[in-house]
Amino acid sequence: MTVEVMIGRGRDAIDMVVDPGSFRENTVGDVTFPEDLGPGAVVGEAAIDGRDVVVIANDAQAFNDKFPVVYFGVIGLEEAYKMAKVVYTAIKQDADKPVGEKRPLVLLVDTPGNGPGKIEEIFGMNKATGSYQLALAEARKAGHPVIALVIGRAISGAFLCHGLQADHILSLSPEFGTMIHVMPITSISRITKMDIERLEELSKENPVFAAGPQFFYHLGGVDELVENVEDMRPAIQRHIAEVEAAKLAGDGDATGPMGHGTLGEERGGRMMRRKVIDRMEEEFASVAGKYL
Amino acid sequence: MSDWKELEAKSFYGASARERARGIVDEGTFTELAGPADRMSSPHLPVLGEAVEWDDGCVTGVGLIGKHPVFVISQEGRFIGGAVGEVHGAKMVGAFVLARQMYDRIKEEHPDELAERLPAVVISFETGGVRLHEANAGLLAHAEVMDQIQETKGKFPVISLIGSKVGCFGGMGFVAAATDVIVMSDLGRLGLTGPEVIEQEMGKDEFDSADRSLVYRTTGGKHKYIMRDANYLVEDTLGDFHDQLAAIMEAPYDEIVQCRRIGSEALVDEQLALAELSVEMAPKDARDVWAYFGNEDVEQIPEMTTAEFLAVAQRR
Amino acid sequence: MALRELNFTFTPDEPRPFPVGWSHRGVVGSGDMEVMFEQRDLGGDVQIKVCTPVVGFDEVWERVLDRFVRESQVSDAVIEINDNNATPVVVSMRMRQAMEEARKEAE
Repeated sequence: MTVEVMIGRGRDAIDMVVDPGSFRENTVGDVTFPEDLGPGAVVGEAAIDGRDVVVIANDAQAFNDKFPVVYFGVIGLEEAYKMAKVVYTAIKQDADKPVGEKRPLVLLVDTPGNGPGKIEEIFGMNKATGSYQLALAEARKAGHPVIALVIGRAISGAFLCHGLQADHILSLSPEFGTMIHVMPITSISRITKMDIERLEELSKENPVFAAGPQFFYHLGGVDELVENVEDMRPAIQRHIAEVEAAKLAGDGDATGPMGHGTLGEERGGRMMRRKVIDRMEEEFASVAGKYL
Repeated sequence: MSDWKELEAKSFYGASARERARGIVDEGTFTELAGPADRMSSPHLPVLGEAVEWDDGCVTGVGLIGKHPVFVISQEGRFIGGAVGEVHGAKMVGAFVLARQMYDRIKEEHPDELAERLPAVVISFETGGVRLHEANAGLLAHAEVMDQIQETKGKFPVISLIGSKVGCFGGMGFVAAATDVIVMSDLGRLGLTGPEVIEQEMGKDEFDSADRSLVYRTTGGKHKYIMRDANYLVEDTLGDFHDQLAAIMEAPYDEIVQCRRIGSEALVDEQLALAELSVEMAPKDARDVWAYFGNEDVEQIPEMTTAEFLAVAQRR
Repeated sequence: MALRELNFTFTPDEPRPFPVGWSHRGVVGSGDMEVMFEQRDLGGDVQIKVCTPVVGFDEVWERVLDRFVRESQVSDAVIEINDNNATPVVVSMRMRQAMEEARKEAE
C-alpha cells in the first residue's frame, strides 16, 4: 500500500490518472477557455487508455487575483461558472453521439468550500455553485458517465458543488488524510454543546454526523474507497464502465444522487429515506383522484 | 370569514410551515402527506438529546391552484432553524417523485389538457441548509433535491417562495437558485454563505453580521429583485404569495421558464459576465450596484414600501 | 443525555371521551412543543407520553398534565408530546388548543 498524501495536488492527480502527456488544459473539443479564467479550477481534455475524457479538478495552489477569497482550492464565482461551461460544452459537442460514446467527465475533488464573501453574496454565489450542479446533472442524464474521485478535501457545499452530482463517487481512503464532512466534530461539539468524546463514541454507531470518507461510504455517498494511489486510474476506468452499463440499461435513478440514496439503505446507513418516500406515495395514492 | 380567508390575510413572515402550506394553494385543497400522524421524526436526534418533531420540520403535501396539482414543501424555521436532515430531505425528494409521477399520469390520461393541469412543485423555504446533528445525511439529501430539480426541466415548473424569518441559506440557497421561478417578499433573504460566516472570513469591518440593514441590503428581497435573482416581489401576506403563484401557473410553461437565472449555457454566460462586471465595479455595498443599474436615491430604497419600490425599481 | 420519555396515566372523574380521530398542535421550537391527541378506547383513562430533552422536571410535568386532565376531563385518548423546553404555561396552552380544536371539529 502506497500512502502518498494528495491534498493540494489536483494537477498531480490529473497526471496520475490520465495517459501520459494527454492532458490539454483549457481545451474541450474545438473550444478553448481563456487561461486567466477561474484559476482555482483546472479543466481540459485528456485520454484514459486512449479514450477521450473531460477532466475538472481543483488547483489548491492557485490564487484568483480578481476574487481574493479564492485560494486553497476554494470554488469562487468564476471557477464555478467555468466548470459549468466546460460541462455544457461537452454536452453540446457530444449531443449526437449515442450513450457509450459520450465522453466521460472525471472530477478530481480537493476543495474546502464555495467562495464566501460580500461580493460573492451581492452577485449570488448560490447561482454559481447551483449552475455547475445543474450542468453536471444534465450531463449525467444525457448519458455522460460522471465519475468523481476525492483526493483531498470535499467539504460541505463545495462537495455538493463538485462531486455529489456524479454518477459514481470514489474517495482515497482515510489513510490519505482525505476529508469529507460538513463540519469537523470539534465544531459540531461546540454548536450542539456535546462532549467530543461522547460524539466520537456515538459516531461509531451513527455515521450521520462523523467526519470521514468511511462514514460517507456507509451512508452510500461514496461508492468505493480507493486504497492506493496506483489504483486511482483503474478504479476510475472500472467505474466508467459500470456507469455506462447502467445508462445503457436505461435506469436513470440507478446512479447519481438517487442511486446513492438506494446504496445508503443497502449499506444500512440511511434507513428512513426510503420509508418516507414510500409513505408519501402510499398516502398520495389514496387521494390522487381529487387532484386529477 | 372562513379559516382559509383569515389565513390569507396573515403575514407570510410569521406563518408556520403548515399555515403556509395550506395558504399558498386554493381554499380547502391541501392534503398533508407524511404528516405528524405518521410520526416520521428524525431517528438521529434522540441519541443526541435533541428534541424531535413528527414532521421533521418539513410539511409536505398536495393542493390545487386552479386545475394544477401543486406539490408543496414548506420548511419550519422554528424547528432547528428549518435545517435539512435525513427525513426532512427525503420528504423534499418525495414531493418531487410524486410530481414526476403525476406529470406522467396527466400526460397519459389528459394529453389535451396537459397545459391547464400541469403540475408544479412549490417550495416555501425557511432554512439555513444542512442540519449539523445529521450533517452527512442532510448533505446527501441536498444532492438528491438538485438532481430532482434537473429532472423536472422541460416538464413542469418548480417555484420558490422566500419570505420567512430564517431566510434561505446554505445549500438550500443554491437549491432555490436552481428552481424556475423565485417569489420573494421584502423580508425574504436569500444567499449561500450566512452573514456570520462572511464576518468570520472577512472581518467585522468588512461585514458586520449584526448590522441588520447591511444583511438585508446584501441578501434581501429588494436587492434580489434588482439583480433579477428574484422574479417577483410581493407583499408579506399569504394571500399575496398565493395570488402570485396562481398568476405564474396561468402562464404557459415556455413562458414560466424564462424566469430562470441559471440552467443553460447561455444563462451561465450571462452570469459569468455579471461576475466579471463585479470586478470592474468593485462595489463596497449593494447600494453601489443598485446605483449602477440606474436606481436613484439608493439610500431610500430600504425605507420604501414594496409598492413604492416596485414603482421605481430599475433592474439589471 | 439522550432524549427522555415520561409516561403517565390519568383517570378523570367524569370522563369525556376524545371526540375525533386525532388532533395536532404546535411546533417544536425552542421553548415550545407539539402535541398529538389520538382517540383510543382506554376504558375512561387517558395516557400521556412526553418526549423531552430536559431532565429533572418529572413532577412538574405530572402536575401540569394532571391539572389539564382535571379541567378538560378528557378520556380515551393517547396524548403524545414532543417537548423542547416548553414552560408550564405553554404546555397548558398547546394542550387546550388541540382539545378545543377537536371539540370544535366534532360539533
